[in-house]
Amino acid sequence: MTDLLHDARVSRGQFLRMMGGLAAAAFATACSTRPQTSTPSGGGQATTELKFIGVSDQKAPMDQLVAAYQKAKPSVRITASYAPTDQVQTSVRTQLGAGNAPDLHVVYPGSGSAMSMSQIAEAGLLADLSAQAWTRSIPEGFKPAFQLDGKTYIHSAGSSVIGAVYNKKAFEQAGVEAPPTTWSEFLSVCDRLKKAGLVPIALGAQTPWVTQLITYALVPSTVYAKDPTFDDKQLAGQTSFAQSGWREAMEMYLELQKRGFFNDNPNGTTFEQQTSMVATGKAAMAVQVSAVLPDFRKAASSPDDLSMFPLPGAGDAASVWIPAGVVVGLGAAAKGANVEEAKAFIDFLGKQENINAWAKAIAAIPLVQDASSTIDPAVESFLPFTKDRAVPFMDQRWPNAEVQPVHFAVIQELLAGESTIDEALRKMDEAYQK
Amino acid sequence: MTPLTASRARPARASRRRFSVTSPPWLFAAPALVVYAVVVLYPAVSGVVYAFTDWSGIGEDMSFVGLAQFRTLLGDEQAMGSIGNTLLLTVTIVVVQNAVGLLLALGVHARLKSRALLRVVFFAPVVVSPVMVAFLWKYIYNPDPSSGLNGLLGLRVDWLGDPSVALWSIAGMVVWQYAGYSMVIFLAGLEGVAPELHEAAMIDGAGTWQRFRYVTWPLLAPAVTINVMLSTIGGLKLFDQVFAATNGGPGYATETLSTVLYKQAFVFGKYGYSTAIALVLALFVAAVSLVQVYYFRNREVAA
Repeated sequence: MTDLLHDARVSRGQFLRMMGGLAAAAFATACSTRPQTSTPSGGGQATTELKFIGVSDQKAPMDQLVAAYQKAKPSVRITASYAPTDQVQTSVRTQLGAGNAPDLHVVYPGSGSAMSMSQIAEAGLLADLSAQAWTRSIPEGFKPAFQLDGKTYIHSAGSSVIGAVYNKKAFEQAGVEAPPTTWSEFLSVCDRLKKAGLVPIALGAQTPWVTQLITYALVPSTVYAKDPTFDDKQLAGQTSFAQSGWREAMEMYLELQKRGFFNDNPNGTTFEQQTSMVATGKAAMAVQVSAVLPDFRKAASSPDDLSMFPLPGAGDAASVWIPAGVVVGLGAAAKGANVEEAKAFIDFLGKQENINAWAKAIAAIPLVQDASSTIDPAVESFLPFTKDRAVPFMDQRWPNAEVQPVHFAVIQELLAGESTIDEALRKMDEAYQK
Repeated sequence: MTPLTASRARPARASRRRFSVTSPPWLFAAPALVVYAVVVLYPAVSGVVYAFTDWSGIGEDMSFVGLAQFRTLLGDEQAMGSIGNTLLLTVTIVVVQNAVGLLLALGVHARLKSRALLRVVFFAPVVVSPVMVAFLWKYIYNPDPSSGLNGLLGLRVDWLGDPSVALWSIAGMVVWQYAGYSMVIFLAGLEGVAPELHEAAMIDGAGTWQRFRYVTWPLLAPAVTINVMLSTIGGLKLFDQVFAATNGGPGYATETLSTVLYKQAFVFGKYGYSTAIALVLALFVAAVSLVQVYYFRNREVAA
């Protein structure tokens, strides 16, 4: 390094003085900024500031409800910031680890991710919400997503479904009148779409979370319809991915690829490209989660052309099951300075009209419904299933955060022709047992 | 603030004498060193402890597990595979980036009219954030035959989606961004080669190649040392570009040691294991850099 310095005609003395000055300046700036948590407001009344960090999908409903809360309770001000899932996962986990978590933050339902309710609650970092009235109406089937040892730690406004988002115009163009209701019908619809010169199914498998959606859409029919207690048996070590209908679901996934129903190079295609292919009618459908319907609609010139239908994963319509998972929610930090105020905001979110508003903003099915609840017409075809033929998203019951990323990776390997279904299921089973 | 006041309060006589004779007192560096120690050294060293625990990253549940994390690393096929990827990427980047950088430097060192402009153009990608570069290149690497690089070259390559191509696509992206950086360092080296040496060589009848081989190249040795070392370190700890472009995929095809340790800490919640990987990476980078500096310093010559 000294050679460089000499070349640049800066002596060591000058350099050291420069660095010293720089450090002193940095130090002075650092000392002068002091975090402000409570500031007196105009009326002489103390204002509590709550900080919320969430994922981008939460922005639309939160903006609306934070504004409403501001009106209802002017003494509390909530500042919200949003980022994509990966970044939030990094920053919020770091803050949780360092003991300076925001008052309110995103929490994933169930147990299968590093920011999931069980993993954070187990570490004692989430406030117990069980005393709030809305928690008493959580439907039985959703309890594992909300609760750990009988206590509720997360608020979520409802559930979303996974199915085929399709472009009605494209279906008309290929002469397909009604969405398919069995697997063989689905294959023949794809065939007709392909013959009409369209990409039947857009797949953006370069975006990791997109890879899982087709398997998620199929396993309710190939696994849970046959054995609704599969999760419990798998947790008890009595069964595994390799021994179950997961194999069939992966075979079906690859059959779609073998028949040329996907776009070219799915591994090089992103979620954004997938969205625009369907929105512009270049592709007829995409298997997606209903929470991203707003993205598809935004990209389409006539949003009403887009709708959804359940992906039929079984040979007979009566044994088709669907995935319906609790949408990403939020929790209150157990060790913050404003725990009570943070919990009060969650209680506010738990009111029926607010559950309705949140659900509406993300095209979800409200957690509990009343006369004023609205359900997005695109997901209406899923409602007959939600009673007794729906299962939560698979990862919500997985025991650790490793299974899901392994699932992403093996699907990419399968699509690239670099692996076999046996190998893929073996890797998933290994991750499950860790 | 203490170091500053201390240095000012120090009796001027004693230090002035030393100052005027050789170099300023090291005390002037103290503020910077204190900040460096507090912000970089202390956290880094205190983090090492976690490599010997099973901490999840959150909560207070933690027990000492000795060297268990390091044993896991040896048996972890994914982490081991990522070491292979990291080494391949590093070697490719070191060789290609410096070769391109040297050619660019020789080019813009010549008496071209537009050389000032060209220097700026070639250096420009360096100042862009690596994540932005990766996002831009995702468009360039669009697999669609009619757009991006495929459209330009008339190819049908799935740049980031084909496991056998993805790693090289990332290397290309990194070289594109940092060749200008190597260029600047080589350029500084070239400016330091005295024109008299070239004149003398020309009088002795040396051609262009001979002058490069026997005059320029040996005198560029310090620049080569710095460039090779910096690009090696950059390659070994490559993260941003991979994370933004492929996130380690497709499958595990572009996973590097840095993306694996990131995932272990923040996706899988295995902070202890991740720290163990980070420690191994840090020691490895330090060892490689030391060996390189030692080797290259030995072949440096004075003009």
